[in-house]
Amino acid sequence: MKSKANTMAGLGLLLMPLIWIDPVTYLTLTVAGLSLGMLIFLIASGLTLIFGLMDVLNLAHAAFFAFGAYMGYTVLYLFNSWGWIEGASLWGSLWFLVVALGTAGLVGALLGVITERLVIQRVYGDHLMQLLVTVGVSFVMVEILKIIWGVNDEVVPIPLAFQDSFIIYGVFVEYFRVVAILLGVLVFAVLQFMLKKTKIGIIVRAGVENREIVQTTGYNINRIFTMVFALGAAFAAIGGTMMAIFNQAVDPGMGDQFLIFALIVVIIGGMGSVTGSFVGAIIVGLSFNYVAYLVPKMALGVNFMIMAIILLIRPKGLFGKE
Amino acid sequence: MNDSMLTLDDVHTHIGQHHILQGVSLSVNPGGATILLGRNGAGKSTTLKTIMGLYPASKGSIRFKGEKIHREKTHKIARMGMGFVPEDHAVLFNLTVEENFRLSMVEETETTRQNLEDVLELFPALRKFWKTKAGLLSGGQKQMLAIARVFVCDHSLLLIDEPSKGLAPIVVDQLGEALLRIKDKTKVILVEQNFNLACQVGTDCFILDDGQVVFHGMIDELAKDKPMMKAYLGI
Amino acid sequence: MIMDSGMTDKMAVNDHTLSKENVPALTSLDTFRIGIVILMGLVPFIFPSFRVMDVMAKIMIFTLVVASFDLLLGYTGILSFAHGMFFGIGAYSVALILYHTAAPAWYHIIIAILISLVVSIGLSLVISFFSLRVKAIFFAMLTLALAEFAHILGVQWTSLTGGEDGISFTLPWIFNFNHTFGTVWHTQINGRLVVYFLILFSTLFLFAGLVRFTRSPVGRVLQSIRDNEQRAVALGYQTFRYQIYSIVFGSSVASLGGILFAMWLCYVNPDSVFHTAIMVNILLMVLIGGMGTLYGSVIGAAFLIITENWLPQLLKSAAELVPQSHVIQVLADRWQLYFGILFVLVVLFFPKGVLGTIRAHYRQRVIESESIENQLK
Repeated sequence: MKSKANTMAGLGLLLMPLIWIDPVTYLTLTVAGLSLGMLIFLIASGLTLIFGLMDVLNLAHAAFFAFGAYMGYTVLYLFNSWGWIEGASLWGSLWFLVVALGTAGLVGALLGVITERLVIQRVYGDHLMQLLVTVGVSFVMVEILKIIWGVNDEVVPIPLAFQDSFIIYGVFVEYFRVVAILLGVLVFAVLQFMLKKTKIGIIVRAGVENREIVQTTGYNINRIFTMVFALGAAFAAIGGTMMAIFNQAVDPGMGDQFLIFALIVVIIGGMGSVTGSFVGAIIVGLSFNYVAYLVPKMALGVNFMIMAIILLIRPKGLFGKE
Repeated sequence: MNDSMLTLDDVHTHIGQHHILQGVSLSVNPGGATILLGRNGAGKSTTLKTIMGLYPASKGSIRFKGEKIHREKTHKIARMGMGFVPEDHAVLFNLTVEENFRLSMVEETETTRQNLEDVLELFPALRKFWKTKAGLLSGGQKQMLAIARVFVCDHSLLLIDEPSKGLAPIVVDQLGEALLRIKDKTKVILVEQNFNLACQVGTDCFILDDGQVVFHGMIDELAKDKPMMKAYLGI
Repeated sequence: MIMDSGMTDKMAVNDHTLSKENVPALTSLDTFRIGIVILMGLVPFIFPSFRVMDVMAKIMIFTLVVASFDLLLGYTGILSFAHGMFFGIGAYSVALILYHTAAPAWYHIIIAILISLVVSIGLSLVISFFSLRVKAIFFAMLTLALAEFAHILGVQWTSLTGGEDGISFTLPWIFNFNHTFGTVWHTQINGRLVVYFLILFSTLFLFAGLVRFTRSPVGRVLQSIRDNEQRAVALGYQTFRYQIYSIVFGSSVASLGGILFAMWLCYVNPDSVFHTAIMVNILLMVLIGGMGTLYGSVIGAAFLIITENWLPQLLKSAAELVPQSHVIQVLADRWQLYFGILFVLVVLFFPKGVLGTIRAHYRQRVIESESIENQLK
């Protein structure tokens, strides 16, 4: 009963902006908000995965994100310099996107493995040390990023096909937004399936609860944790590439800006809950767009207000346990 | 010596600054159940954990089926056929009973599935709570699950740490039956404070005191040796 | 909210052993401390270069900010990433008031101090209220998000803050840098020197306040909460209230530090007072000095600010030795990289910091000599 009432209240809030916004604009904003939300979810999911499963709050996440963005930028830049990007068809562009995301994901995973092996493994179970050390790692990684790519903003070459849009019920929808939404939903589904249904999910959840039992059953828990960390880092990097395309630009400080969004999402959704991050990301994405249209100056502030309100009602976040 | 299944030779273990095991030497032959007895803090649990590789042995050697294992990682030791049931209802509370069993099947084969059927025959209550989170089971059911988990795989040696701790007498009886049935199939090393249960299940026994082995013999001999019992077990 | 006790035991060293010995008479350590203060006062007369004075002033300001952060991290076990934000609030409140008033007078500085205190106390109360009851990680996330928000606000609210360009302003009254009062010992006594001494005395006063606070009954309760919150609750303390004292006091001191910083530079911009890099610097200073030592903040601040001032030059001149290598030039340019690496290494391998390690060593020796004495008896 209660969950039904909650859902109704949520839907009501979702439709509330219709009082001030005409329906077509509302739908346009909704699509934009959903795609932004899904991009944020990509970043937040990695954070949630690492936090929820391994009990590590990884503040170096922003750096993985920025590295991913720059990797994606590099791949697209190369393709562009060979003249492939400009006139590519939608399907061709999708292929380029897959290559860019794949490269970013691989680099992210690699960085994740290195970070976990060198640093994180020494601080399992100690939150304060984790926070401190990951802040340091983040700082180092952004400096390395500046050494490789320089300190200036760069423009990301975007396939024209992504900027095209189709019209549905009078609403202009850009193709890239659809791609972003689909990718977000896909990642959500894969994560849910992996955690809830597969053996690896069971092992990982068990490992968080009691390393000893998992080890004595015969699993190499260290390797599994490294894999989870790498996966989280890869998601951050993929999110970075997507955001680089979305904004058509990269800069070395971009990680910090989006880390706020990811943190707000994780706090709203409840720490460690993938579903919570998904819902939280949608809330943040939508409210950001609605408010940016109505009261542009309030756009970021409203997310803080939502966070404060949700914390007042549910201190553990929407889907937080305990 | 060579036909023994597990041999500890002068094993020392430090936990932090504490010198817990101070030269434990024991050897265990295949078949039956070997009981580790001793007062609280004598080093029984530490012995099991050192064998399992959870604590590094600071000195001495451990051989399992002829191979040195005291430098191996825990999961490798486990894969060599050693099963471990830690004390205090060691199940995963946030996983369902089903998931607990799936976790324990390192490889899901015909044999393990058959074993699972057999185990559930032995502990019918677990089938009833198949989809329940293990944290919601009663103390006795948790302990049953903790032991049943390990039976699913074909181990050659099981280390079981104080299974009867904190259980109601009737549950202890049930447990005793289960242990009797396992020891026919698999070699068991059992740490047990409940002397009646130990006598019922065990064949031979070691008594540990202050991190050293002070007695080795058949358990029925020990039961007659009243001074020994009083000195080391306080019974 | 409070970190696990095992970890804090490991990382923070209690003030206890030292404070007990200091009570009766002036120890050599006290003489050393007084000597340092006198030296700081003499610096402008001994080294007439602005550069040296600038470094000294910044060391003092950051000693204060770092010590106030240590009150939270080392003594209360709270990791707040918003500490840099309070520093920025102080800096911006003085800058904005002096910039937006046509003819600033001395009382405008007082107004700025009051405003920054009110804002800091209010904000820190809100933060505490929202998140002190939950886990450390949560608090850290919330404060980090808030700090980032403050930075963005500083950049985007251009009508008030001047955006990225920042605000430069002039100080009123005797603090005005163009004021001169004559020369003493070949050194011109001007407004800048007055500000220098204002910084010196404020730092001294507030630092002493922090030390008193940690040794007061409230401070003792805080340390017991840090070490074992459940025990403190069981003893009947309202842990929540004590933690709020600590956060409010620490944040207020940080914002006062921000005021001094702005007055010294007569210029603020979002990157110089709100950026996460400031927070990382403060963290690094605390870690190098040693968490839970307070006096360690002097060591941390001095080390970092001195290297920050001379390391880039040093690297540049080193890089000039091999002018053909592009890689080395770039590596020399990014000196912050070495700070980051140092940071990670300190956290991993040297978590007690300089002073913490010395104290732990000292305490170990006391314990050993006591046990030897006991054996002899």
